[in-house]
Amino acid sequence: MALIELRDVTKSYKRDQIEIPVLERVSISVPEGDFLGLMGPSGSGKSTLLNLLAGIDRPSRGSIRIGDTEISSLSESVLAGWRARHIGFIFQLYNLIPVLTAFENVELPLLLTSLSKKQRHYHVMTALSIVGIEDRARHYPRQLSGGQEQRVAIARAVVADPTLLLADEPTGDLDAKSAGEVLTLLQRLNREFKKTIVMVTHDPHAAERASRLLHLEKGTLVEQVTVGA
Amino acid sequence: MKFLGLVLKSARRSRRRTFLTVLSVAIAVFLFASLRAVLDGFNAAAEASSSTRIMTLRSTSMIFSMPTSHADAIRTVNGVRDLTWANWFGGIYKDPKNFFAQFAIEPESYLRMYPEIVLAPEARRAFLEDRTGCVVGDGLAKRFGWTVGDRVVLQVGIPTYGSQDFTFTIRGIYRTSGAAIDNQSMFFQWKFADERSLVKGQAGWYVTQIANPDQAAEVALAIDQKFANSPYETKTDTEKAFQSSFVSMFGNLNLLLGSIAVAVVITTLFVAGNTMAMSVRERTTEIAVMRTLGFPAKTMFFLVGGEGILMALLGGAVGAGLARLIVNPDVLHVAGGFIPEFGVNNAHVATGLALSVFIGVVAGVIPATMASRLKIVDALRRVA
Repeated sequence: MALIELRDVTKSYKRDQIEIPVLERVSISVPEGDFLGLMGPSGSGKSTLLNLLAGIDRPSRGSIRIGDTEISSLSESVLAGWRARHIGFIFQLYNLIPVLTAFENVELPLLLTSLSKKQRHYHVMTALSIVGIEDRARHYPRQLSGGQEQRVAIARAVVADPTLLLADEPTGDLDAKSAGEVLTLLQRLNREFKKTIVMVTHDPHAAERASRLLHLEKGTLVEQVTVGA
Repeated sequence: MKFLGLVLKSARRSRRRTFLTVLSVAIAVFLFASLRAVLDGFNAAAEASSSTRIMTLRSTSMIFSMPTSHADAIRTVNGVRDLTWANWFGGIYKDPKNFFAQFAIEPESYLRMYPEIVLAPEARRAFLEDRTGCVVGDGLAKRFGWTVGDRVVLQVGIPTYGSQDFTFTIRGIYRTSGAAIDNQSMFFQWKFADERSLVKGQAGWYVTQIANPDQAAEVALAIDQKFANSPYETKTDTEKAFQSSFVSMFGNLNLLLGSIAVAVVITTLFVAGNTMAMSVRERTTEIAVMRTLGFPAKTMFFLVGGEGILMALLGGAVGAGLARLIVNPDVLHVAGGFIPEFGVNNAHVATGLALSVFIGVVAGVIPATMASRLKIVDALRRVA
């Protein structure tokens, strides 16, 4: 059974009374354990699709089922709880909280759980060691390089053991070396930890790391490519 | 509790801004508690006034005196049980900044009619037997480090008492048993001041003990009628009315001080509210990220609102604490005479803290609502 099932998802925005279509009847099925790359030119709807999967935006029409949950019909408060349990989100600009240390940034999602302080500590240190940055736990984001910040962001995304990892151009702000390391890390999470990953990218090198690629253009799905990693 | 660290870290994001916000709340609470203490001091003095004591002053102004022969006339009025008189002395102890109230009193009757002045029997006796003796309040004695037997020299402040300094011997230190009398005053024998006075036999005001408080208005009217159309017309009123009229000399103190307090609080509300809203606007992306991580809107509301309350409460604690330390009769030394003793007490501190929470809640509502209603996608797009 597929982990993600999108059926005829349409999304449009209203700007000054004008309806701007972003996604047109997109249907996708993503099996559990897949590493899906989403490519396409700017404005093709990649990030919108990712936001819909993350439950931070709602479709205008269509159905989005993740696991057993039809998320398009959930209320805002239920959706927040669902995100906390099932979604790990990696941003292009890392979006770490600057006043919190690496440890505290990774701990954030766990504050919404009933874990004790000791348990939280264990989980955070485990996540930091998976991304290879446990020695920087007490550092603030401004004391880290871009690659290290993105590693912390990945640790934050995986620390609560979510069902689905969503990455929005995770290497877009990194140099080639750091980008390679981050992609290797994502691949490892997919292969070793069986995490289902959906990654939006412009970068063909990054796309090569995915096991399957989807191309979007003007809001519609134009091509499916199996990379066969 | 696990979110408290998050709130504290957020508050420390811009230390200068947090400091200034805390300071603005601290100033507001300090002023509020202090003004409240002043008002309560005046009100307490009026409330503590005896209902059986009425006061007679010159109708023109309380600064003019009247002959002591009025005493005999007042005693003949129906309902009068006892009578005493006093004069404002206005002497200077070393330096005008050492101000305290000094009263020349007719000692026996005054002490009899003011049981609030609590003196040891031997001190009372020593005072009555010494023409140049005086008694001082325990607050005043503490202020200047006086003890029984010390000599106190006062320069003449009002020319009617001549130009020669007055030397008094402290015969007793009194404590008070009611707010009608403060512990920052000095009382000495009227005879001593009268001897040196350029105009002999003058009283500043009379205090009359009446048998029945319900007859106060009738007795007061009867006293004033005695001196109607004389060169020394009088105005008689209850002690409470006298206290209130004295306060009214400053204008409508309640309205004045109350308005200042409200203005300060409202201004602080705007300052704190604007600062918090600015802080939330700057953190739009962070808030959107936290919402993406699964923080519910309700939690974001309480995190941002809690930050506002925390800052305001901290400011409130600083302001109320400082007010408690500074606005204190032992520090201020402004009480005495008709200025009642006042100081910030625990009730004022509690009110100040409650006010700071109110400021925090009201100022934090809009930013907290902004944070909780943030549209995640729009907020992320704004920066990304």
